[in-house]
Amino acid sequence: MISISDFSFKYDGAEKNVLNNINMTIEDGDFLGIIGHSGAGKSTLTYAINAIIPHYYKGDFYGAINIDGLDTVDTNLTDISKLVGSVCQDIDSQMVSAVVEDEMLYGLENFDIPKEEIEERICSALNEIGISHLRKRNINSLSGGQKQKVAIASIIALKPKILLLDEPTGELDPQSSRQVFLLLKEMSEKHGITVIVVEQKIMLLCEFAKHLAVIDHGKLIVHDKVEKVLESSEILEQSGINCPRTVTLSNALRKQGIENIPVCKTVDEAEKMVKSLIEKEDSLND
Amino acid sequence: MIEFKNVSFSYDSKAKEHTIKDVSFKIEKGEFVSVIGSNGAGKSTVSKLINGLLKPSSGDVIISGTNIKTVPASRLSKEVGFLFQNPDRQICCDTIKKELSFGLKLAGISEEETEARVMEVIRDFGFEPDTNPFLISRGERQRVALASLIALRPEIIILDEPTTGLDYNECTHIMEKVKELNSVGVTVFMVCHDMELVLDYSERILVMSDGKIICDSVPHNAFRNEAAMKSACIIPPQIIELGIRLKNGFESADTTDEMASLIAERRNS
Repeated sequence: MISISDFSFKYDGAEKNVLNNINMTIEDGDFLGIIGHSGAGKSTLTYAINAIIPHYYKGDFYGAINIDGLDTVDTNLTDISKLVGSVCQDIDSQMVSAVVEDEMLYGLENFDIPKEEIEERICSALNEIGISHLRKRNINSLSGGQKQKVAIASIIALKPKILLLDEPTGELDPQSSRQVFLLLKEMSEKHGITVIVVEQKIMLLCEFAKHLAVIDHGKLIVHDKVEKVLESSEILEQSGINCPRTVTLSNALRKQGIENIPVCKTVDEAEKMVKSLIEKEDSLND
Repeated sequence: MIEFKNVSFSYDSKAKEHTIKDVSFKIEKGEFVSVIGSNGAGKSTVSKLINGLLKPSSGDVIISGTNIKTVPASRLSKEVGFLFQNPDRQICCDTIKKELSFGLKLAGISEEETEARVMEVIRDFGFEPDTNPFLISRGERQRVALASLIALRPEIIILDEPTTGLDYNECTHIMEKVKELNSVGVTVFMVCHDMELVLDYSERILVMSDGKIICDSVPHNAFRNEAAMKSACIIPPQIIELGIRLKNGFESADTTDEMASLIAERRNS
């Protein structure tokens, strides 16, 4: 479990806090989406969860963050990184090796994984992400999307308890983005891994995440189940977040005076909603 | 005008297959065209063939009557502005004013004219001229990169994933500016993965798959071309996808308002 209590942070040299008084609890196995405008403090929150703040980025740290009972200030970065696997926004800054399999080896060897286990972990991580064919490739020859998949595979091979990803689909096409989210969902549901993902693609978060946290100008505006957050879509709009069109459709139908319209997160849900509306009307007319 | 005549292109001359395979299309002045397709389909390669960064292995690319094989890329840069996905690949000066002047000076524009054009875009975008572009958000940096293109007054603007990493408001700022340029006759060629954005702004779509154009149509029809969508691994915008699934006349809706009206009509009939 991750527990964040009264957390505020100001980077050294900055004039004001990036994050203010954040309180949230993230349960084991959750799939949390974090969304907000540029500069809202989303990435800073991820640095605080993986303890890069305060161990690498220095500044004024208020409050407390506990990962599985370990206080991030008192625990060293290596121990936290065994629990929290991170995929950065800037993939190139994450890569340390020239070849894909070496990139995967780097983390495994650093974590002292027994040699006999390493091969199995590399194979299964590459296989799960669907990039076994890239194993011997030079990282410089890969596309942005392929690099993103390599970064995710390298972290999955470490079998972290918590997976933290900052805009993991930035370079990916819609189909590959969905594949990444399907995989994250599987990680969360089948393997009980807690997934925390910062993402601007609201449609993906609505389809796959269980909870949504909205950060606006350094404050946590709302943290609730996705359906609940979408019910008050004006909060999202005020924070500069565009709702999925299916949610806008639900709102438009409510404005027409139709009662009991559910918030539709996805096309599947909207399809069911419209069909049931029409069927109801047709049966009344019969 | 942009014209591709049987263009093929390979990054590696020894490669068995071309990255771009016998592509032909014509884009008239003032059109807003988007290119969609999966990673590696050849979209960015086509963009780089338009601004002359790449030259075709065979076939011809004609930009405003000039065959790009006959001129250096620097000549084309006055006519074709290129907005990269990542503004940091484009920005190189330490103040916004210097950044906006940089391209104009390289293009040989007089000092007086440079000053006038720079001040015009600064006013238009509401920039602080002495701000360091590296100390502002990515969305703002993308606006600076766009402004520096606009100062060059190109006839054609190429946008390669212009809204990656931007939030919705930043994205809207960029796209509204591009729309404004398009309305005064600038041709826009946009590579984009955000289908809602493509639907909202484009008047024509080229669907690419495996180096070929497999569909060239208005958005309304392109997104309903099931075979092309499948082959290019594209999920249509939500309302169009919903209409296709519902059938019975709902498939004509492109926007939320249109879909809501169709549902209301159906309920009242």
